[in-house]
Amino acid sequence: MHLSLLSLCQWLNDSPFSTALREGDYPFPIIETIHILAVAFSVGVIMWVDLRLLDIVMRVEPASDIIGQLEPWAIGGFIVMFLSGSLLFLAEPMKCYTTTAFRIKAVLLLLAGLNVWYFHGRIYRDFADWGAGAVTPWRAKLVGLASLLLWFGIIIAGRWTAYQQ
Amino acid sequence: MELIRFFPASFFRLCEGTTLGQWIIHGQWYFAVIETVHIMAVAILLGSIAVVDLRLLGYGLRRQQVACIARQLAPWTLSSLAVMVLTGIPMFLSEAIKMGRNESFFWKMLLLIGALAVYFTLHWKITIRQPAEEGGFAKLTACLSLLLWFGVALAGRAIAFFG
Repeated sequence: MHLSLLSLCQWLNDSPFSTALREGDYPFPIIETIHILAVAFSVGVIMWVDLRLLDIVMRVEPASDIIGQLEPWAIGGFIVMFLSGSLLFLAEPMKCYTTTAFRIKAVLLLLAGLNVWYFHGRIYRDFADWGAGAVTPWRAKLVGLASLLLWFGIIIAGRWTAYQQ
Repeated sequence: MELIRFFPASFFRLCEGTTLGQWIIHGQWYFAVIETVHIMAVAILLGSIAVVDLRLLGYGLRRQQVACIARQLAPWTLSSLAVMVLTGIPMFLSEAIKMGRNESFFWKMLLLIGALAVYFTLHWKITIRQPAEEGGFAKLTACLSLLLWFGVALAGRAIAFFG
């Protein structure tokens, strides 16, 4: 048996767990509601980190201070969003596999993850140098802008995934 | 409970008969595009409300003053609210007759009125007009605000799931 993303999705799709999630009256609406509330919360919080990095809000407050205090909430929201999103995927693996909007969403999510990884690995390390300073370095601003665009792209692609029949 | 009990049926027919309502009904992607913008505004609104309310409850941006956070976030809260209303009305016009009979829509409107009332009175007072750092009253207002706004989102999502 050859392993591919398609056969994996097919196998998942046929599993009893996936079938139960898909065919039950309540699981999908309940999980999707949790997912959407978590999206609104975590993207809403992430946005303030991004806008601070872009020097648009709370400019007089040190960026490191704002980010350090908001990050636990963004991460908490992200975990709920990711777990509920994984269940939504498990409910309809084949639909997700065949939907272009979902593929775009998966790529954008990966890019958003890389963006955070780059920020923590390369920029956050030097926070002592600029975190309390007046001017945010352009690389940090770029990370903020990329994060904003990626997350709103993820919301759009997510909404369009649901529109596909 | 449904809106049709409080407004005449002709009101909903009138709404759906408007040029804007008909335009959205007959366009293939108009509704989807408007709803996507609506949802993005929801994220901005709930995010700004959540950050301020968490601060009132003593979480999140604890090292900043309530007044400082609230004053900087208020323009974002207000403009996302405007976008939500401006996208929400056309969506309603395009399916007014259905919304008149939709229970979730009725609860969403009721919760929205509550959320707006709390935001522009109690919430505005303790965050912008006379900012209070701590205190039971501030915490109570924050809880009420969070419950009402997330309730609006919850009921909004339920519109599509339950009749």
